[in-house]
Amino acid sequence: MIFNMDSIAKKLWLTITAAIVVTIIYSYFLSYLFYEKLYVENVEENLLEEGRRLAAEYEGGPLSDELKDRIDWYSSKSETEIFIVSNPRELSACLPFDIDYETLISGTEREKLLKGKPVKKIGYEERFDRKIMAVVIPLLDENRLEGIIYLYIPLAKISEVTTDFAYLWMIAGILFLVFAIFTGTMLVRKLTKPLIDMKDAAGKVSLGDYSVKIKNDSMDEIGQLALAFNHMASSIQKEDERKKEFLANVSHELRTPISYIKGYSDALHTGIIKEEDQSKYLSLIHREAGRMERLVGDLLDLSKLDSNEFKIEKTPLPLGQLIEDAVQKYILKMREKEIEFNFEVDPDVIINGDAGRIEQVLQNILDNSIRYTDNGRITLKMYKINERCSIEISDTGVGIPAEDMHKIKQRFFRVNRARTRKDGGTGLGLAIAEKLISLHGGTLIIDSKLGKGTMVQINLPVLDI
Amino acid sequence: MMRSLKRIVIFLVAVFFLSSCSNKEYPPVQENLSIAATVNIKDKSLSFIDLDKMEKMLDWEMDKPYTGAIIFPDGDTILLYGKQVETADLYSLKRGQKIDSWKTGKGIVNGKLLQQGSKIALVDQDLNKIRFFNLNGEEQWQVKTEMNPLTILEAEKEKKLFVLSFNKKQLTVIDLVKRKKIEGYPIHPSAAGAWLNDAKGEIWIGGHGSGAEIEKDIHVYNSVSGEFIRKIPAPSMPINFIGNDNHVFVLSHGTSKLYQLNEDGNVLDSIVVGANPFEMLLIDNQLIIAGYDSNDLHIIDAENLKINKTISVGNGPFQIVVRERK
Repeated sequence: MIFNMDSIAKKLWLTITAAIVVTIIYSYFLSYLFYEKLYVENVEENLLEEGRRLAAEYEGGPLSDELKDRIDWYSSKSETEIFIVSNPRELSACLPFDIDYETLISGTEREKLLKGKPVKKIGYEERFDRKIMAVVIPLLDENRLEGIIYLYIPLAKISEVTTDFAYLWMIAGILFLVFAIFTGTMLVRKLTKPLIDMKDAAGKVSLGDYSVKIKNDSMDEIGQLALAFNHMASSIQKEDERKKEFLANVSHELRTPISYIKGYSDALHTGIIKEEDQSKYLSLIHREAGRMERLVGDLLDLSKLDSNEFKIEKTPLPLGQLIEDAVQKYILKMREKEIEFNFEVDPDVIINGDAGRIEQVLQNILDNSIRYTDNGRITLKMYKINERCSIEISDTGVGIPAEDMHKIKQRFFRVNRARTRKDGGTGLGLAIAEKLISLHGGTLIIDSKLGKGTMVQINLPVLDI
Repeated sequence: MMRSLKRIVIFLVAVFFLSSCSNKEYPPVQENLSIAATVNIKDKSLSFIDLDKMEKMLDWEMDKPYTGAIIFPDGDTILLYGKQVETADLYSLKRGQKIDSWKTGKGIVNGKLLQQGSKIALVDQDLNKIRFFNLNGEEQWQVKTEMNPLTILEAEKEKKLFVLSFNKKQLTVIDLVKRKKIEGYPIHPSAAGAWLNDAKGEIWIGGHGSGAEIEKDIHVYNSVSGEFIRKIPAPSMPINFIGNDNHVFVLSHGTSKLYQLNEDGNVLDSIVVGANPFEMLLIDNQLIIAGYDSNDLHIIDAENLKINKTISVGNGPFQIVVRERK
């Protein structure tokens, strides 16, 4: 497996491998220690048991030759080296006389034996010139140490067994290590693959390819990260598309009035327009400039609303009065278009709102209603329901096709795709209206049937006094 | 009020410090009793036995590893020495206090009163010398011996001192009058314990045996010429001898055996006594034997070798000294 120097896979792999190696080494030494301890204890226990059985043969008094012969015979048959000692010199009996002689047992061992306790030794013994494990059983006649039975085995025998054990352990350990490292490598690969995929995908996204999708079935943190990444990529993609469309819309909307203005002013400039027609052309230029102004104003509003810079100054407002004032401007226009206007408001409703903005909303909606209604009827109702009030503006205009309903609040969307100047709107009105209403804590609902008319309902919280 | 309280406190503190600096006090041993004292090596103690009641009276826990003792003719002063102790220390039995120290240096392994209690001979294994002191602790003379002297035996009539060396097969003889070494003679190795058979002009010498060999016999030599006469079997490791008018008693520590012999060297009787006994004394026709491993004293009838009493003492009784009522 080849890793980059700083890859997380390498770090993970190294961590896992190191953990496995340390665990194996540690458990090796631990189990070796336990094994040796258990084995040594077992051997020691056996020696002790054997020694005690032999010591049971002793019946008191000076050690008889018969007993010595029997012990010698037993020793020749046993794997353990066994001998019996009655020489007081070897038993440190002359100790206080400071005799220059290397005794078999020391003074402290003699004290222990005198108390009837066996002595256990492990280590190098000069007498035998090798490492041994020994057990010394006292042969006591009352409190006289008449002799000892000395049982020992060379430690080499014990280490032979532990060496075998060590080899077995080592082989098993290496096999396990190989297996564990292999499994660990697979695991690391599986764990880090989504990360590598994500890195590649992020690279593609940064190059503008938002269509990438990371495949990941797991639901762990990395799986969730992959999901979040996919979601992020599709969000970026949508935003990108919206931005492009928006730019296209803005440039398109601006180009039309600019080309009008340019064309009419060229005509005026070159003098091909007769003098009596000049004022008509000027008013056309003025109309298109006004249209551009509205568009730019609306865009500015929207951009402020988007960036949360938009400030509304709420004050308690008599909503009925506000609506009445706003409607006054349209009475004449509706009469021109022979529109019947029904008007019904609850004069007691007071809301906490920004008068200018609420009026802007009403204007945008009424503009739309008047624009798309000819020889029809517009009804405006305002009433209170519980804690809220509702403003309903319905018309008998052209209506909106069902398939366009979900796009109706989008910027620059117009049912009339031809964008004829006759309609005159910027296509931003509803988007702005909805934003403003939501800043007031209200909702804006549109219901429409093609050919029958449209109803816009604004719900706003009422101020309780 | 406060001032007087302060003074009392200062006084008590001063007493505490001064008393901790001064000599340790031991329970006193009554003057008018016949006592035996054992020097116990393993627990560094002295055990005192009332010989009339045949029971232990008290113990002294010592600070130094003493291995032997001498009770002075005054019946009160006990001198304690040890191979690892720098000084020979004198204690008063009745006061239970140290009264003096002799600067002997380390290496003292044995000591005996000589010439009816007028002198003390100390055996010094560091210097390999026998050193003679008067009872005031003044060293008067010394004699070089062979390596590791241990047993000393006084021939009162001849005014000689026999010295057995542990490492050399040579007996050293010291003339106590001329205060010098006279010609000795070769003996067996690892000799220890001796008895003078004045009637026959013999010296009986025991031993531990050399190396892994165990000494089984008493070696008998002509006490003057050093000629080897015979061996008397007394297994094993005969190391202590006492004679009275009728018998010779031999203690063999290897087999924990006490032998009763006549002067011809015939074993009359023997018993097993204690465990690993080293030390034996004869007093009022009773033998007192200390079992080094059994930590006890055995009081034995010297005629029939019957053990009359066994008394527990401190750990590892290595030497017994006796003071008889005056």
